[in-house]
Amino acid sequence: MTKTLKEDQSITVFTAQSVITMNKSLPVTNAIAVRNGQIIETGSLESMEPWLSKNEYKIDDQFKNSIIVPGLIDPHLHPSMAAVLLPMQFITAMEWRMPWGTIPATTSDEKFDQRLKEAMVNPTHKELFITWGHHDLWHGPISKERLNSIDSKRPLIVWNRSFHELCMNNGALEYLGIKETDVSGLSQIDFKRGRFYEMGLGYAIQKLNPYILAPDVFQEGLKKLKQVVHFGGQTTIADMAVGLFDFETELQSQMTLYDNEETPFRVELVAHSTALPGAQNTTEAEEIIAKLPERNSHRLKFRKRVKLFTDGAFYSQVAQLLEPGYIDGHQGEWLSTPEQFEEATRVYWNKGYTIHVHVTGDLGLELAVDVLEKMQFERPRFNHGFTIEHFGLSTPEQVHKLGKLGANISANAYYLYELSNIYANDSVGFERASSMARIGTSMREGVTTTLHSDFTMAPAQPLMSMWVAVNRINEKGKVMGAEECITPQEGLEAITINAAKVLGLDHEIGSIRAGKKADFTVLAENPLEIDPIKIKDIKIEATVFEGKVFNIKTS
Amino acid sequence: MIPITIISGYLGAGKTTFINKVLKETNVPLGILVNDFGDLDIDYDLIKNDDGLTYSLPNGCVCCKLNDDTGAALESIKTRDISGVLLEASGVAIPIKIANYGLSWPGFSLNGILSIVDGQSIESLLHDKYVKTTVKDQLIQADRIVLNRYKDGIQKKLLELNSEIYKDQEIQNYPEFIQESFFSKKEVGNFQKNHFAFKTCSLISKESIDKDQLEDFLSSNPYIHRAKGWIRDRQEKSWLVQMNKSGCKFLPCTYQTQTRLIFISTKPINFKST
Repeated sequence: MTKTLKEDQSITVFTAQSVITMNKSLPVTNAIAVRNGQIIETGSLESMEPWLSKNEYKIDDQFKNSIIVPGLIDPHLHPSMAAVLLPMQFITAMEWRMPWGTIPATTSDEKFDQRLKEAMVNPTHKELFITWGHHDLWHGPISKERLNSIDSKRPLIVWNRSFHELCMNNGALEYLGIKETDVSGLSQIDFKRGRFYEMGLGYAIQKLNPYILAPDVFQEGLKKLKQVVHFGGQTTIADMAVGLFDFETELQSQMTLYDNEETPFRVELVAHSTALPGAQNTTEAEEIIAKLPERNSHRLKFRKRVKLFTDGAFYSQVAQLLEPGYIDGHQGEWLSTPEQFEEATRVYWNKGYTIHVHVTGDLGLELAVDVLEKMQFERPRFNHGFTIEHFGLSTPEQVHKLGKLGANISANAYYLYELSNIYANDSVGFERASSMARIGTSMREGVTTTLHSDFTMAPAQPLMSMWVAVNRINEKGKVMGAEECITPQEGLEAITINAAKVLGLDHEIGSIRAGKKADFTVLAENPLEIDPIKIKDIKIEATVFEGKVFNIKTS
Repeated sequence: MIPITIISGYLGAGKTTFINKVLKETNVPLGILVNDFGDLDIDYDLIKNDDGLTYSLPNGCVCCKLNDDTGAALESIKTRDISGVLLEASGVAIPIKIANYGLSWPGFSLNGILSIVDGQSIESLLHDKYVKTTVKDQLIQADRIVLNRYKDGIQKKLLELNSEIYKDQEIQNYPEFIQESFFSKKEVGNFQKNHFAFKTCSLISKESIDKDQLEDFLSSNPYIHRAKGWIRDRQEKSWLVQMNKSGCKFLPCTYQTQTRLIFISTKPINFKST
């Protein structure tokens, strides 16, 4: 039994207007009996009589007018990335709903400057003020002069939404000790405009690390993420690349901050295959990963799984594409050679691991499919859990093959919302832009399909991901790829039971039935009956984690 | 300024072997950066001064790696008495992207890009479903190509992509080969003042081109880092064009060709022959 919960044999019965169980044998009930963090029965008060007549119990009817669904699951986000970004002040083109208040959409140059001026009164990192979310298309080009005209003295840094560049005012350059003589003539640092790009950004980050990775700031970020995850109604998340910045720091700070009774969720940990301290090759990495479960705690667990990578980032347009490629003819990038990817896959496949592969473009997917096919030929496995993570661009034929090969898909549907308009015009054209996150096809092909946020690539709100997958509406309000829409029923499956299957936890979570953990999300309205266009606006009232209620305060 | 030489080339081309040959003969301390995840085969005994000059760097883009290891390694190198850096790029690295470290990191300069090629496997790589464009970029973007495991006829094939080909077995002195500054004659700082990173642009034309006009254009445009390819001039003569920071060369071609030029530049290149 669990270490952190006290053994308690008394039964609590939660009643609700409706319980959507996601168990097809008994899809709708109105009461759930819970004992010691576990569901012992769902049904009606009458049907539970055999339990209730023989045991002490209490009825908890605080959700009697609400809808209970299984605890929502985000099977792919990055707590350490979030811990860096959340302490920054968000000024963004899209609305971001946060537990501490909604960040309104800022959609013009003037409004951006105005918001900046107001917000920078409160520095975010010691004396530094850092904002994240600037986007040229909405907020106009940024420069040192523009920032100096707002305030030239107090150190001010504007970090681009893509995370690939930032801009500093005079105050920040001075505060960080960056002098013109140090950086003049360098190709990716534009001192005159205060801008740092790509490799130049790397230099700026070296200077900023003492502030953005300072232990107190990083922990503050992780605490904020805790609120964000709860606010999004999630009771399980997966850290889909432990080691992104620093393996030990990430693991230890999460253990310190999350492994306690006040945390309303569990974290499934998946190691980044090339970021393990001390490992120089796959064999050494595998030996380390095999021992990681020894460090498991109640809420944080490694299992026999690993994260691999094929092609570059979707937001940066370096996904590898099949012909006809990008409109402007530029090429995508591989993150390792196809030979190295195949060899790493073989090592983990033959040892029985669940392999999660970061795949963004359709050529990246082609490689993942080809390698999986080869593995199945060499050493067939059933229910192996090989999962395509992100699933930006794909072809219907590839999705069909994924089905035949027994793979799963974990898609970032939000790509379609934020990027499909821009990508239709400037990147890959309308046909392919409207088919990004080809989720309808993957459901029809019988592929176990889930949705993730990859937070902060998308808001950590499963109902938002579900809303995009069901409606396929982009930020311009236009429906993209209507044939790929899924039903609300499929959408809710994606963020509950399918997510549990993809994480290999469907025997414990993902639906409401006797024997599973008592993880619930309490909603003000029924996501299967409401007008689908309102799914993202459904109020999340509370979550229940292993039987314990965590109310969500609304501001 | 510490010069960085990029050692690029596909997996198994012989990059590490090449670096070991340089280390064996060098009289000056060199820093080695290896940007790949795999067995580190650098021969430690060959690194002459003290330890800690070899840095192994896992792959990844700067956006996803806040603790940019390459940057940290470069900062550490700056504090030591090191005459040059050899940066072994990963097998799938786009050389001009990695070269931006040499152009963008304070205290460093770019010496040049070498691509190591395995003559036995290069042809099949140039037709590989996944990496053909990556491998082609590695050949086109190089200042010099070092050809290993020579195969008959391969040089002629590679000449279509790059004319600066050196057979490994004919290299007399590896450190000298590395230290010959590829851009010695023209000040590099000139074109680095703008903030753009390297890009590739191409000029493909069925029309003939005014050779003198092109030469003027190439020598006066500060944004062009390299240009390579062929042109057909107004007299229907074909020329192999080679432009780098030490100047622009036109070599007569014995066979007829169409105009096909590739520019590596820090701004989009738009040449129109009138």
